[in-house]
Amino acid sequence: MLRLSLAALLLSAGAAAAFPVTVKSCNRDVTFDAAPSRAISNDVNLTEMMLVLGLRDQMVGYTGISGWKTLDPVMREGVAELPELSAKYPTKEVLAAAEPDFFFAGWNYGMKVGGEVTPETLEPLGIKVYELTESCIHIGPKEKSSMQDMYADILNLGTIFGVEDRAQALVAGWQAELAEVTKGVDRTDPVRVFVYDSGEKAPFTAGRYAMPTAMIEAAGGVNIMDDLDKSWAEIGWEPVVERNPEVVVIVNYGDVTAEQKIAFMKSNPAFAEIDAVKNDRFVVLEYVEATPGPRNIEAVKKLVAGFAD
Amino acid sequence: MAETTASVSIARMGRRAAIALAAAGILVLSVVVAVSVGAVDLPLGTVWGIALDHLVPGLVAPDWSRAHANIVWEIRFPRVVLAGLVGAGLGIVGAALQAVTRNPLADPHLLGISSGGAFGAIAALMHTGLFLGLLTVPLMAFGGALLATLLVLGVAQVAGATSADRLVLAGVAVSFVIMAAANILIFLGDPKATHTVVFWMLGGLGLAQWPHLLWPLAVLVPGGLWLMTQSTALNAMSLGDETAATLGIPVARFRLAVFVVAALITGVMVAFSGLIGFVGLMMPHLVRLVAGGNNAVVLPGSAFAGAVFLIWADAVARVVMAPEDLPIGVVTGLCGGIFFIWLMSRRR
Repeated sequence: MLRLSLAALLLSAGAAAAFPVTVKSCNRDVTFDAAPSRAISNDVNLTEMMLVLGLRDQMVGYTGISGWKTLDPVMREGVAELPELSAKYPTKEVLAAAEPDFFFAGWNYGMKVGGEVTPETLEPLGIKVYELTESCIHIGPKEKSSMQDMYADILNLGTIFGVEDRAQALVAGWQAELAEVTKGVDRTDPVRVFVYDSGEKAPFTAGRYAMPTAMIEAAGGVNIMDDLDKSWAEIGWEPVVERNPEVVVIVNYGDVTAEQKIAFMKSNPAFAEIDAVKNDRFVVLEYVEATPGPRNIEAVKKLVAGFAD
Repeated sequence: MAETTASVSIARMGRRAAIALAAAGILVLSVVVAVSVGAVDLPLGTVWGIALDHLVPGLVAPDWSRAHANIVWEIRFPRVVLAGLVGAGLGIVGAALQAVTRNPLADPHLLGISSGGAFGAIAALMHTGLFLGLLTVPLMAFGGALLATLLVLGVAQVAGATSADRLVLAGVAVSFVIMAAANILIFLGDPKATHTVVFWMLGGLGLAQWPHLLWPLAVLVPGGLWLMTQSTALNAMSLGDETAATLGIPVARFRLAVFVVAALITGVMVAFSGLIGFVGLMMPHLVRLVAGGNNAVVLPGSAFAGAVFLIWADAVARVVMAPEDLPIGVVTGLCGGIFFIWLMSRRR
C-alpha cells in the first residue's frame, strides 16, 4: 500500500524523476544530474528560447544584448528583473561572479572558437554549456540548416530543465502553425531570395548552415547562396547580381536601419537590374526573427506574405 | 691592498643583493595589486584569504563563496603568473636578439617568429579543428614559430646573408610572407570567426589556466638562464662580428644558437598569449637607459621589467573597460609608448 502511494508520488513528480539526463550539444554529450537553477543565456534569440520555456526563475542574468541590439518591449518585459552581466561577449570572470551552473550560448553567439569562454574553460568553474545547434558548424561538420535545428534546441532545453512537456507542446504547436502558414504555397518554382544582413563594400549574408536558409525554404523560396558552405559569412556582390534574387530579405539590427540598407541597394547602379530591386520587393526580418528562436515561425509567415506579393 | 678589493667586492655583493631584493619586492607587490583588481570587485581580505587558503590549507577559515574562490584562484592568479612569464620571456629574448643582430629595433616579432606562431594558431582554429584537444592551438602556434625561424635561417643561408643586418632583413621579408599567408587563411575561413583572429593579433592573457603555465615556465627557465650565462659573448657580439671573432666566439654558430633559443621561448609565449607587441622591443632600451649597456645587467633587467610591465598592462586591460577586457596589445602600445617617450625626453 505504502509502496503504491510512493509510486504514485513519483509519477506525479513527473519530470523530476527523470534525472540524470544527457543531451547532445554539438559533438559533446552533456549530463545533468538536476535541472540548472542559475542559468545565463547570451544574445536575444537564445534568451527568448529560455523565456518561452518559462525558465526566467531559473536564470540569474543574460549577456551580449545591448552591445549590438535593442530589446523590443516584449523582451524587455521578459527579462525585466534580470541583470545584463555584460553588454557584449562575457569574460570568464564576469560569468564566474554570477555563480551560474549553466550557460546557453553558441559559437559566435557569446563564445569564440579557441577563446577564453568555451565549454572546456567553463567546466572547472562548474558551469555546464549547451551550444546553439545552428552554430555547431563552426567546430565541425553539420547537416544543412533546417527548422529542426531550432526545435532540437527547444527540446534539449526542455530535457535539461525538466520541462519536456512544455517543450514538446511548444514544438508541436509551431509545427502545426508552420503547416497552417505554408498551406497552399506554390513550390513548383521557388522564389529566388537573397539575405542581406549588413555591409556595403561586401555583403554579409546567410549561407547553407544559417537559419534563414531553412525559413526561406519553408516559405517556398530558395536562398540563392545556399551553396555557400558557411553559416553567416561575407561574400562579394557579383554572385548576388549574377543570381538575380526576386526578393531581398533584410536583417534588421544595429546602427544601420533597414531603410538605409534598402536605400543602398536601390541607389547602387550595379543592382539596377536585380528583380528584387526593380520590383521593390524587400522583406524586413528583425535579428531575433532571423536567428534561431521562438520567432522563426512568425518570420516564415512574413516571408510567405512577402513571396506572394 | 687585498683587503680593499675584498671589501669592494663585498660591497658590490651587498649592492647586488639589495637590488635583487628590491626587484623581488616590486614583483611581489605587482602580483598582489594585479590579483586584487578585475571586473568583479572583491574585498582585499577575501582575495588574500583565498590565496592563503590555497598556499597553506587550513590556515584561514573560508568565509567566501565558491565563485569568488574560482575568480581569484582559477582566473586571476594563473593570468597574472602568465603575464609575468610572457613579459619576462619577451623581454629577455628582445635583449638577446638586439645584441646578436646589433640592431636596436630587433624584437621577437620582427624576425618572423611571432607571425609564424600566429599562422599556426589561425590554421588550427579555422582549418584543422582541435584534433589534439585543448593544446591544439598552442602546439600549432609553437610549430608555426619554429618553422618560421627555420625558414628565416634557410633564406639567410641561401641568400648568403649571415651578417647581422641582412639576417634581420631576411626575418622581416619572411615575416611579411607568413603574415600574408595568415591573412589568406583568415579570408578563406569564416568571417564571423575573424574576431578570434583579431584576439590573436592583439594578444591577450584570458586563456591562462594553471596546467598550461607549465609550458612557458619549462622553456623560460632553461632558455633564460642559458641566455644570461652568455652575457659576455653577447657583449662581444655588440662590438661587431670581427671583434667577436677575434675574442674567440664562433660568430655564426653562436648567433644561430641565440636565434633558436629565442624562437623556442617566443613560440611558446605566442602560443599562450597571442602577439603582444612592444615588450620585447622596448624593455631592453628601458633597462639600458637606466642601468647602462652591459648585457649581464640588461638581460635579467629586461626579463624583470617585462614581467612587471605586462602584469600591470594586463591589470589595466582588465579594469579600464570592465566588464570587458581590452586587448592587451592596445595597453602595451599606448601606455608603454607614451611612458617611453616621456622617459627618453627626461633623460636627455
